[in-house]
Amino acid sequence: MLPISYFLIVSAIVFCIGVYGVMTLRSGIMIMMCVELMINSANVNLVAFSSHFGQINGQVFALFCIALAAAEAAIGFAILMSIFRSNKNINIDNLNILRW
Amino acid sequence: MVNDVTNIAYLIVALPVLAFVLTLAFGKKLPSGGGYIPILAIALSCIISIMAFLQIRETGMPIEISSHWFAVLNVGIFIDPLASVMLLMVSFVSLLIHIYAIGYMAHDPAKPRYFAETALFTAAMLGVVLADNILQFFVAWEIVGLCSYLLIGFWNHKPTAAAAGKKAFLTTRVGDVLFMAGIVILFFNMREHVLPHISGQEEVYLLQFKTIFENIALIPSQQLTLITLLFFGGAVGKSGQFPLHVWLPDAMEGPTTVSALIHAATMVTAGVYLVARTFPMFIAAPDSLMVVAYVGGFTALFASTMGLVMNDIKRVLAFSTISQLGYMMLALGMGAVIGAEAVGFAMFHLINHAFFKACLFLCAGSVIHSTGTNDLREMGGLFSKMKITGITMLFASLALAGIGIPFLKILDTPIGTSGFVSKDAIIVEGTYVFAHLSHNWIPFAFGVIAALLTAIYTFRLWFMAFTGKPRQERHPHESPFTMTGVLSVLAAFAMVFGMLTFLPFLEFVGHTYDHEEIHHLAVLGENTIIDHHELHHIVGEASPIIFLLPVVVGVGGLLLSWVIYNRRWISVASIGNWKNPIFAVIARRYYQHEIFIELIALKFTYGVLALSAEFIDRRIVDGIIDGISDFVVGAADIVKKVQSGVVQNYATATVAGVALLGLILTFLSITEVI
Repeated sequence: MLPISYFLIVSAIVFCIGVYGVMTLRSGIMIMMCVELMINSANVNLVAFSSHFGQINGQVFALFCIALAAAEAAIGFAILMSIFRSNKNINIDNLNILRW
Repeated sequence: MVNDVTNIAYLIVALPVLAFVLTLAFGKKLPSGGGYIPILAIALSCIISIMAFLQIRETGMPIEISSHWFAVLNVGIFIDPLASVMLLMVSFVSLLIHIYAIGYMAHDPAKPRYFAETALFTAAMLGVVLADNILQFFVAWEIVGLCSYLLIGFWNHKPTAAAAGKKAFLTTRVGDVLFMAGIVILFFNMREHVLPHISGQEEVYLLQFKTIFENIALIPSQQLTLITLLFFGGAVGKSGQFPLHVWLPDAMEGPTTVSALIHAATMVTAGVYLVARTFPMFIAAPDSLMVVAYVGGFTALFASTMGLVMNDIKRVLAFSTISQLGYMMLALGMGAVIGAEAVGFAMFHLINHAFFKACLFLCAGSVIHSTGTNDLREMGGLFSKMKITGITMLFASLALAGIGIPFLKILDTPIGTSGFVSKDAIIVEGTYVFAHLSHNWIPFAFGVIAALLTAIYTFRLWFMAFTGKPRQERHPHESPFTMTGVLSVLAAFAMVFGMLTFLPFLEFVGHTYDHEEIHHLAVLGENTIIDHHELHHIVGEASPIIFLLPVVVGVGGLLLSWVIYNRRWISVASIGNWKNPIFAVIARRYYQHEIFIELIALKFTYGVLALSAEFIDRRIVDGIIDGISDFVVGAADIVKKVQSGVVQNYATATVAGVALLGLILTFLSITEVI
């Protein structure tokens, strides 16, 4: 059995990719995907610790997270759809009307 | 003691106030612009005043009602003999003027506003008279000032009327500020010196006249002199004494009935009443009384000279009012020697003056109403067309000039017009007083010369208006009955009131202040008061010339006017041209306009005070405020750039913040371990 640190390192790398993507990418869909990456890196952590401590709680929690991610994706894409309808693109940089 | 009048005394003021509200609200829908409402209300006030007068005369006790207002102040009604005669005069004369106004204002479209404002004017004046404490007095006094502004500028479409209203308001405001300063200083003195002595007692209020008079001894005498001088400053403003008299002639821009109200019943008498009301304080500060006397005497002469050269019928009367008010102030100032009797002399002249001056003004109004001009030079020969107005005005003029029969006394009462009885009493008494004080005859000479000038200008007015040939083609007609009826009543009062009431009046008003109290207060001011019989005894019986001269100059003035303005044996143009230096000075009103407006107002107040104040305000005060706000706005301009509106920037900032926090925590935990 692999040591837990392996899982944690993979999870951290995936999370950082997600964060980097959220901060730098312009396409709304790409940002949504990066958010999914961050959620899933958290899920990896939950499952890894669940397996490590021999408790089922973490895996149950990971299931909740997946359901949550699905809901979040549904809302997020709906928002992106309406942005697309008004702007003809989903470039996040252009959505800066709430500025000084 | 329970009686009826005490319970309804408040109605004296409340009814005209109610009339003000009703006329203002419903006047347009009522006949005569609602003018009958104020007449009814003031008539009821007059009846209640008469009841109050009768009750006071019967019981000898003043009517007092007082209720708590807040802290150490109260509201209340106080009617003593002084206030009750004032009430009678104000309500009665005001009633007559209102009746007259029904006819006079018949063609004016703004009647509801006129009647509402005059009702409030009367109410405010009655409020001044009834006040039992100085603060309430001041409030009513200010409402009087407001109403005078509104009524002088009644024809507000005329720029001169609007300017006159403003001038009256601002000039009297100078006096009001002094008066208010006096009240403030009085209050602090009362709090410091009197409150510790009376704090245990119940229902004692600091600014109540009763409390003030009972505790005058506790106030330091220099403070008292200051307070009384400031009060007199207020009286100078309201009563048009030199140098704040400038508003009164301009106040002629209002309707003539308003002039009559201001000059006879309300407003200008308030100043005299203020001094009479606070007389115990003045008694304890004899220096102030001397100031009152000298200002009054000077004003009496000063104003009468200007009355000689005015061509506006109402301005002649305005200067005559200023002059007569000077006599009243002079009479009050004599209190330094003869004590509370001076109040009697002053009030008697005030009441008589109210009758004949109201009559003169209303006659002038009748003349203006029928000829449509104010200018004496455009009148002439009116007597054949306006007999009632002419005769009543002649009677009132005789009263103002003080024509009577000297030495003849029936039941100790002199025989003559009311002006003769009251004005000559002041001149003769003043002669005694100043002979006692300083052994000089200058004040007497002042009084006599003013009396001479009064007679000349009064009859100049009458002869120019009513005799000779019409100088312009006009179609005069006699005024309606509401006007001539009022004129007749007032003329009758002007002729006989003085004779009928002289001694009873002085005795009744003499009971206002306790004589022993007054003597005691005079001692505080290091002064002694002597009875006027004693005074006559000390000075010695004066030569008959003193009694004779005022009447002689009165008749002399009449004849002089007759010679110049009726017979025209002496050409007016030979005296009254601009080459005559005396005429030029007087006709330019002693360069008052140049001195007050151009020198003091424009050069000094505007040029020096206002502009430097503006510089300080604009550059320094505003500069500091503007600097602070510019700094804040500038800083915000820089910082606001952070708010870019791009969500990713915020996300980056959040991550960076979390990372920084993580670093710090890590660093801290490392150092802890070490």
